[in-house]
Amino acid sequence: MAEGERSPRQLLAIGVVGGLVGIYLAYFLNNMTGTAWFSFFAGLGAVLAVFWGADAVRRVASYGLGTGVPSIGMLSIGAGQVAVLLGLAVAKNYNIEVAGPIIALVLAAIIGIVNGVMARRVIKMNIAIMEMSMTVIAMAASLIILGFSTAIAGSFAFDSIMSYVVAPGFIIAVFIVGGMAMLHPFNACLGPDERQKRTLNLALSTGFIAMLVAGIASGAINGVQAAVPTLIIAIFGWIIYYLRFFADTKQDAAALLSTGLLPKEEEVA
Amino acid sequence: MFSLLYWVWIILGGILIGAGVHFIPVGGAPAAMSQATGVGTGTTMLAAASGLTGLIGAGSAYASSGGAFGYTIVMGGVSAALMISVLAFIANVMYVYGAGVPLASAKVKYDPITKWRQDLYVSRGTEGHGTPMVSFISGIIGAFLAGLGGALVYFALAASYSAIPGFTATFGGYPAPYYVSLAAAFAIGIFFLNCVMASYNIGGTIEGFHDPKFRRLPKSIAASLVVSAVGGLFALLIVVMLPGGL
Amino acid sequence: MDPQMMVELGALTLVGAAALIAGVAEDLESDVGSQSNPNSQVQLAPQMGYLHRLYNKAISGEPASYPFYAAIGASTALAVLSITGSSSLIGVFFALVAGAFVTSLIHGVYATTSYMGRLASQSRFGQPIYLDVLRTHTPVLMAHGFVANFSVLLLTWVIIAQHFSPFPFVVLAFIWGIALGGVGSAVGDVHLGTDRYYQDRPYGSGVNAAHSGSVVRKAESGLRNSIDCAWFCSKFGGPLTGLGFGLVVYLHFWKEVVVTGWWSALAGVIIVVIFIIMNTYLERYSRQRYGTYKEEAEE
Repeated sequence: MAEGERSPRQLLAIGVVGGLVGIYLAYFLNNMTGTAWFSFFAGLGAVLAVFWGADAVRRVASYGLGTGVPSIGMLSIGAGQVAVLLGLAVAKNYNIEVAGPIIALVLAAIIGIVNGVMARRVIKMNIAIMEMSMTVIAMAASLIILGFSTAIAGSFAFDSIMSYVVAPGFIIAVFIVGGMAMLHPFNACLGPDERQKRTLNLALSTGFIAMLVAGIASGAINGVQAAVPTLIIAIFGWIIYYLRFFADTKQDAAALLSTGLLPKEEEVA
Repeated sequence: MFSLLYWVWIILGGILIGAGVHFIPVGGAPAAMSQATGVGTGTTMLAAASGLTGLIGAGSAYASSGGAFGYTIVMGGVSAALMISVLAFIANVMYVYGAGVPLASAKVKYDPITKWRQDLYVSRGTEGHGTPMVSFISGIIGAFLAGLGGALVYFALAASYSAIPGFTATFGGYPAPYYVSLAAAFAIGIFFLNCVMASYNIGGTIEGFHDPKFRRLPKSIAASLVVSAVGGLFALLIVVMLPGGL
Repeated sequence: MDPQMMVELGALTLVGAAALIAGVAEDLESDVGSQSNPNSQVQLAPQMGYLHRLYNKAISGEPASYPFYAAIGASTALAVLSITGSSSLIGVFFALVAGAFVTSLIHGVYATTSYMGRLASQSRFGQPIYLDVLRTHTPVLMAHGFVANFSVLLLTWVIIAQHFSPFPFVVLAFIWGIALGGVGSAVGDVHLGTDRYYQDRPYGSGVNAAHSGSVVRKAESGLRNSIDCAWFCSKFGGPLTGLGFGLVVYLHFWKEVVVTGWWSALAGVIIVVIFIIMNTYLERYSRQRYGTYKEEAEE
């Protein structure tokens, strides 16, 4: 592992703890105040889950998946979606609504392990970290869906999610926007000189764009209370990390020219 | 109430989706440069495109027929097959008139269906171009299976969820009932689950049922069976967890 | 013909026309951005020593990025409609425009990150990042994306308003986005990849694998850029993609409007058979017209 890089364990801690803290903060603060002003915390939690998931995608995709990077993201987010809704339904049935996100996370890990074992043992894909990666990506995907859904609905109670996120169809928006936020960073930085720091800055940037979309959708449900803080924080977060990505690009690129002809053969180092 | 029959439908649907992906001729990135036989897209995405169009057909059929099983799944399959036949035909028009190449496969000497010679019509340095008749028919079969599978999954989910009290209602000004939205979202998720597993099995491009890679199909059936079983189990357990409805 | 069917057919014609425009705009947008399959050649070119001034937009392929745009557009449109209400037509129209506009901004951001990210990861081959390519191409592809996305949202809205499909707005827009991406990728990309990127090779043959990466970089006047490629593909690739997607959407619902019940399934099967017959004639025509590449005796 190159120096200055974050380890998978570090990112797992950031992703799981950050994601869950954000989601629970949104839920408790919204419930206590009876408003929707604090939905943005769930969006921030989901952005940290994007950060985690994008690194996991990066690790497994650099082994060469054969079908391109987007496939693993789509697979996991499809699986994560089912895990989230079942987790919340279980929590509702046994009257432990607070434990919903944890149950969803565990169920996502189960689906992830099954997918990983199938991919590695049955389909015989030759990637050593496949089971681990599929589990991690499925867990990250479930936190992304749960985080953005909570940001839209204001709470993760099953009834709220059904009425406010599934019925209008926003669940599919969270599906594809969250999935794209997770898989775009590595896909966009694909190449021999890819660097973790630059890729993860882009991951935070796409995560904040996803939060922006969740903010717009939350405006349809909870109006100004949910939308305004989420949109403001998302736009600021996006600007900060996009500028950092641009600075990294200036540092990494062969040349950043305002305009010009193609370099002559001798000029290419 | 957990319904074993609906779980079997979801597993069967998942297997059919995975199998369908193996029939659809995909040339991948090289096909866009007329270097490979098949349609120029990724395996996952082309199967998803045709199968999900079939899902739209199945959804309309389920709604208009009030939940008839046979009609829903047949319309799912036919809609998907129609989509891919239009797509592959227009792509062939592009190959013939735009790129100026005859349609030919590099994997067989004679087309199994038309018995026309293939290898003489393959340009040098390529692995075939366009979608010759055998690949075209294979694609139609594949899309039909994928559409059928998707419709089976949708049928099982919609029938289960519409039985939950309160799920046939709509919310606010949004016209779609809860069970339709949830069934459609999960059907899309399970669709991607199986499509990606199958495309991992294919590992790149495939020309159809005459391609040697087609023999890998049993591995995909096994993998699809397990992932659809787990995914379907999770989806149907929601019914068990909501005896009182919303 | 009863009046209800006439209204439905009229709505269907609007849907088909919107689908046609969506197809044309989608293909041209993917040509300006050099997305999806031919992009593999643009990606390969610096490695083979062919530096270029083309765009390199890799937002995970058209069938994955068009549902992304459609879902964002649909969500934004619903958010606007929750404020204005969906009773008036002009209100709905404005909401769809707002949805497509917000999506095009996000589209532009993703496109710039892809260009910068991919080219920075190829720095060892000496490929420079040209900011003027970024500045000139991004608005063009945002505009084409706006038209394509708006058309998809419009056709989805009409389908739901006429009760052709029970799915929610966002889900249906998502699925038509995937279908649009699939058709655009299958049809339009061939024109770009085979004809324009390898314009210096003879017409009438696939690209030889030995020539991979050697895309045309010097244009008719000056250096080749991706806007030139969109101009070229607008002559054939774009309109044909539009025809393809328009036919997909139109025929899909036509078979359910003119007849109902099991007759729709039969109509679908008959249309598939018609396309099989047309494909046979096309294949035979291509063989007779073009002939073989090598003689029998060579084997």
